[in-house]
Amino acid sequence: MAVSKNAWLTGLRYRGGDNMLVWMLHRISGLAMVLFVGAHILSSFFTQQLGSTWGIALNTIYESPYFQIFLYFFVIFHVINGLRIILLDFFPKLLEYQRELTWLEWIIFIPIFGLSVFITVIKILNGG
Amino acid sequence: MKVTVKILRYDPEKDQRPHYQTYQVDAEPTDWVLDLLERIKGDQDGSLSFRRSCAHGICGSDAMRINGMNRLACKTLLQDLHSHTIVVEPLLGLPIIKDLVVDMEPFFDHYKSVMPYLVNDEQAPMRERLQSPAERERFDDTTKCILCAACTTSCPSFWANGDYIGPAAIVNAHRFIFDSRDRASSERLRILNGQFGVFRCHTIFNCTQACPREIQITKAIGEVKKAIATGNLD
Repeated sequence: MAVSKNAWLTGLRYRGGDNMLVWMLHRISGLAMVLFVGAHILSSFFTQQLGSTWGIALNTIYESPYFQIFLYFFVIFHVINGLRIILLDFFPKLLEYQRELTWLEWIIFIPIFGLSVFITVIKILNGG
Repeated sequence: MKVTVKILRYDPEKDQRPHYQTYQVDAEPTDWVLDLLERIKGDQDGSLSFRRSCAHGICGSDAMRINGMNRLACKTLLQDLHSHTIVVEPLLGLPIIKDLVVDMEPFFDHYKSVMPYLVNDEQAPMRERLQSPAERERFDDTTKCILCAACTTSCPSFWANGDYIGPAAIVNAHRFIFDSRDRASSERLRILNGQFGVFRCHTIFNCTQACPREIQITKAIGEVKKAIATGNLD
């Protein structure tokens, strides 16, 4: 009798290298953005419709600069990686240069994310 | 040198679930991983099961996960692994029959579903169906597939859902879709446009990285996606 392992979970240990890391980050960042937007909608709902302090609590969490650094990472990464995938889908010939495109993606990502973090840190140092 | 080989074993008559077994083997850096498996089976444990045939990277029988990545055991040199510990596991996403032998039937079912043969009902010419070098070049890359399943079983979309047709089937469909002599391209594109067809590919590139024949698999899949979206085979 053949046995089927849960390939989905075991697959997380597959050594796909940077390609697989980028794909996993894209998935995680997509989920993270759903959570961020969900928290924002919930916070508005609690505050404006119910007048509940839950809204203020949620606001305090996702408006904190530390939380926003994660937000910048996920949103900026998801956008740039999404553009790379769209580009590859429209022009399959570019798939031969996918490694270079992934490097280009990081080259674009790092300064934009770095600048966002820099501005946020300056704000923290100035007392928020 | 001494090499530690850790193999994921599973005997359906004895084991509840797969487990690792470790062997110490004398080896040279220029040995193939297949040589090590042969040595273990011949000298230490005759119960070890794995597929092999030509041992020259042509038949595609001995695809397995070596140090976490799909490769052919007969094309993987020890010196290229840069490690004295080698972990050998069966391909992911296909049921394990015994040790490193997996059930390839689901894989070949997907392969057969794309009609991997020339379809042309037109009157055959007196001699061969002529094709220019440029027309032949169009699908040259995808003719190299040896059906080892290294690509399909490295694909997270396939791990998540075994109904996904998989990279190997798409590669073999590509080989005929872009063949100027074939007349069933639209039928193949219709099959690949299905729920478990080509759009389950998320451009992850594990398949391209795993292919022992160095086929640009993700590019071939991208070309099929574009042909479906535009209805144009250029």
